[in-house]
Amino acid sequence: MTKEKVLSIRDLSIAFKTSSGLVNAVRGVNLDLYKGETLAIVGESGSGKSVTVKAIMGILSNNGKIKSGTIEYTYEENGEKVTKNLLDFSKKEMRKNINGKHIAMVFQDPMTSLDPTMNIGNQIMEGMRIHYKTPKKEAYAKAVELLELVGITDAESRMSNYPHQLSGGMRQRIVIAIALASDPDVLICDEPTTALDVTIQAKILELIQSIQRKTGISVIYITHDLGVVAKVANDVNVMYAGRIIETGTVNEVFYEPRHPYTWGLLLAMPDLETKADKLESIPGNPPNMEHEVVGDPFAPRNPYALNIDLRLEPPMFKISETHYAATWLLAEDAPDCPLPKELQERIERMKREDERYVGTDETYTFSEELKAAL
Amino acid sequence: MSEPTKPILSVKNLKQHFKVNRKFTVKAVDGVSFDIYPGETYGLVGESGSGKSTIGRSVIRLYDITDGEMTFNGQDISGKMTKETNEMMRTKMQMIFQDPMASLNPRKTVMDIIAQGLDIHGKAGSKEEREQQVIEILERVGLSREFANRYPNQFSGGQRQRIGIARALIMNPDLIIADEAISALDVSIQAQIVNLMKDIQKETNVAYLFIAHDLSMVRYISDRIGVLHLGHLLETGTTEEIFTNPLHPYTKSLISAIPHPNPILEKKRTSLTYDYAASGLNYSEGTLHTVEGTHKVLGTDLEVERWLQKDNQSEVIGVS
Repeated sequence: MTKEKVLSIRDLSIAFKTSSGLVNAVRGVNLDLYKGETLAIVGESGSGKSVTVKAIMGILSNNGKIKSGTIEYTYEENGEKVTKNLLDFSKKEMRKNINGKHIAMVFQDPMTSLDPTMNIGNQIMEGMRIHYKTPKKEAYAKAVELLELVGITDAESRMSNYPHQLSGGMRQRIVIAIALASDPDVLICDEPTTALDVTIQAKILELIQSIQRKTGISVIYITHDLGVVAKVANDVNVMYAGRIIETGTVNEVFYEPRHPYTWGLLLAMPDLETKADKLESIPGNPPNMEHEVVGDPFAPRNPYALNIDLRLEPPMFKISETHYAATWLLAEDAPDCPLPKELQERIERMKREDERYVGTDETYTFSEELKAAL
Repeated sequence: MSEPTKPILSVKNLKQHFKVNRKFTVKAVDGVSFDIYPGETYGLVGESGSGKSTIGRSVIRLYDITDGEMTFNGQDISGKMTKETNEMMRTKMQMIFQDPMASLNPRKTVMDIIAQGLDIHGKAGSKEEREQQVIEILERVGLSREFANRYPNQFSGGQRQRIGIARALIMNPDLIIADEAISALDVSIQAQIVNLMKDIQKETNVAYLFIAHDLSMVRYISDRIGVLHLGHLLETGTTEEIFTNPLHPYTKSLISAIPHPNPILEKKRTSLTYDYAASGLNYSEGTLHTVEGTHKVLGTDLEVERWLQKDNQSEVIGVS
């Protein structure tokens, strides 16, 4: 079965002009989003993940400049399939044709993305009324339907509520309802649950998943929480210093991570059985992108760095059809570098958990090469 | 686990009410009791509005408490304190705040920020001694001595949080209240700060009251945990007890909501739902029942009996 490509980013580079010089926030990013699938972008603050999706929406701040690249988006227009480069559109055209209508976004903080002076019914209807000129009655009926879809009880009476009358979790549900109002094909969620409590976070994630099953929408998830990634994503892209340094299916990245930064991220998060005295932490701080990068930007924090890392930035090495990583450790004449012991134990634990709770037929099968290495 | 030593902090029936207007009072904390022993970490978890930060702030007397008893180092700190008690409490109990951006004075150098406690309590000594102490502490938290004359805006979030920790440490405290001290940091930096806090604990035997909503970190760092909801302490016990045998439905929903970093398992799980209004529970009717050892749960006799009969471990995993 071939998957339908919805969004395809190639070689995207973005720089910001600031008082202290040019900041290269995104440096040559490639991404593919398929219909009905979920793509996660993981990274620390300043890694360029938010900037990438803002470029998709055409909402970069004014000092941001796209240096190179294409964002090809395939959508239906008047019953025909067209593929267009989103970067060719002007801001006005983006607003009119793409934003909200085809690609919608959910932001981190529901309090700042809702209008406090407008009742939520009108906020949900606004998009439909403007994009599709939906008659008011129809829009109202659909808004009530959407509220029910996002799990708000007593939807009819909630329509006239204002954001301040709702709790944080409810507000984020409203934001999702607004994003879904104009039937977009792509939903971008920029840390949708960071500002929420864990219990509410779980509910919102499950909500987005159930909507995805019902409507077949494609979702891009930005997060720094690997637990969230495990829950929702099909494909994972790990970003560091403006580049994607490891990409693969969620199982490949969790069971066979190849980049030392991904190792560090996985180990920095204690799982349910971590009892070690010390968490394996990534030393140092993320790099300042104001400076020109020579070699691998992760090298100074990387205990497994090779000499070549200091001179040359590694290209993407292919591990499988879907799995790529940018580290010189994968080069042909690189020294053998096994997974850190803690991570091996962690993966073993994951396998045991899977066998115990999910059943053996669905557990992850390692590639032959890695099996030998373990 | 029985603790032969005396608790460093003992809180009994703490109530903290805020009067909004004549008719309406917010009962942020409504009768909470717990003990913290020297050298241990007590984690307080709960959702926003559960009163966990309020407890931290009440304990360090940023509020005047409504009712209850608190003893710290064997001295009563719940009412008006004598000058000596006040002095002892203000030096031996320190706090680390959530937002490292907002909790450091932008117009002071790191040296002055860290030494402020010494200055106020007249413990700084000569200028050289003061400098020496600050530099020692700076190096202890993993910052270089050159940083002493810089200003907070020149540091990243993780470094600022280290300054916050240094400021607390310089008073040689017995108890540090860490109010969401790592929530605002990046994942890789969180692990660094947690490791630092653990190291310091081993060296100085300081106790932590660790307030957070991220249960996986709390599980990792805490020896004992208290689960709060709507101002009531619902369940408390050692980390092991809480996570392997969670009894209260709210504790279960909290634990089941943590996403596991395991994609195959996680895709099969659904988290438990908990709704206080629909649960039929009334927190103020329940009493704390001891299950075993230090494991206690809030509920009526009937409720607790019902909870004890369930298979609590597999319910939390929630694989359908």
